[in-house]
Amino acid sequence: MSSHDVTIAVYLVVLALIVLLQVLATRTRAPIPSLGDMLTRAMRSRTGRVGVLVAWAWIGLHFFAR
Amino acid sequence: MSRAVPGPEDRHAQNRGTDSGGTTPGCAEAVVTPPRPAGRALAALAGLRAPVVWILLAIAFFTSISGKPVDGVLMLIVAAGLAWDAGRRALRHPGPEGAPARTGPLPARRRRFVVIALVAAGVAYAGVVGSFSRYSWPATAGIIGLSTVVVLIGWHGPVRSRPVGGRLPVAGTLAWIAVLVAGCLWELGALLQQPSITTDSYAHPTISTLTDPVLAASPGRAVVLLGWLALGWYLVER
Repeated sequence: MSSHDVTIAVYLVVLALIVLLQVLATRTRAPIPSLGDMLTRAMRSRTGRVGVLVAWAWIGLHFFAR
Repeated sequence: MSRAVPGPEDRHAQNRGTDSGGTTPGCAEAVVTPPRPAGRALAALAGLRAPVVWILLAIAFFTSISGKPVDGVLMLIVAAGLAWDAGRRALRHPGPEGAPARTGPLPARRRRFVVIALVAAGVAYAGVVGSFSRYSWPATAGIIGLSTVVVLIGWHGPVRSRPVGGRLPVAGTLAWIAVLVAGCLWELGALLQQPSITTDSYAHPTISTLTDPVLAASPGRAVVLLGWLALGWYLVER
C-alpha cells in the first residue's frame, strides 16, 4: 500500500466512524448523541452559534473563494 | 418579525431604570453609560475568554499563511466582532449568554411556500455561482455575500425556538470529539507533509486535493454548492 492509499484509507475510516456513530445515535438506544444534537448544543450560545456558522462559511470560502 | 420570548433587551426596553429618566423602577443594571475607550478594550478582553474566538483567530492565521488572505481577514473580523460582542454582553449581563428565538413555527402552508422559494433560490444560486471558475472574483463575491448574510442571521439569534435538551451523554460526546479531532489531525498531517503549504502532494493528499477533480467542472461545483447550501440551511434552523 502506498502513502497515497493509506492516506485515503484513513479518511474513509474516519468517515465510516462518523456514519457508525450517527447510526448508533439514531437507530439504537446507545448513549451517544446524534451529530444534530451536538450541533444544537454547541449553538445554544451566541458564540457557539456564530462559530459553527463561520465554520460553515469557511468551507465555502476554502473551496470556492479567492 | 416578532420575538416569541422577550429577551433581556426587550425587558430593558420596557423598564428603563431610574437613572435614565424612565418612570418605572428596576433593571438598573441595564443602564449603561456610553463605553469609553478603556471600557471597549475591557469588553474585548472579556470576550477573549470565549474559546470560539481563539479558534477563529487560529483559523485566520493558518488561512492567511496558506495563501488565502481574504479568508484570513474575514475570519479576523468575525473573531474581533465576536470577542467584542461577547465581552460587552458579559459585562452587561453576567451569566449564560444566548438569545431568544425570533419567530415561532410558521403555519404549514406558509412554511411550504417558504421552503419551495428557498429551494428555487438555492438551485439558482448554485447554478450561477457554480458556473464561475473557482477562486475567481465573481465566485468569491457570491460566497462572501451569502456567508455574510447567514452569519448575521445567526448572530441575531436562532430563527426558530427549540426545546432545550438535557445534558449530552459524556462518553458518546467524547467519542464524537475523538473521531472528529482524529480526522482533523490526519488532514493537518497530510497538509504539513506537502512540499509546501500551497503545493499539493500525491502521496499525502488533503481533502481539498481529493475534491479538486469534482470541483474542476461546473456541474460538480453546482452540486457541491447545493450541498453546502443545504448544510447552511440546516445550521440556521438549529
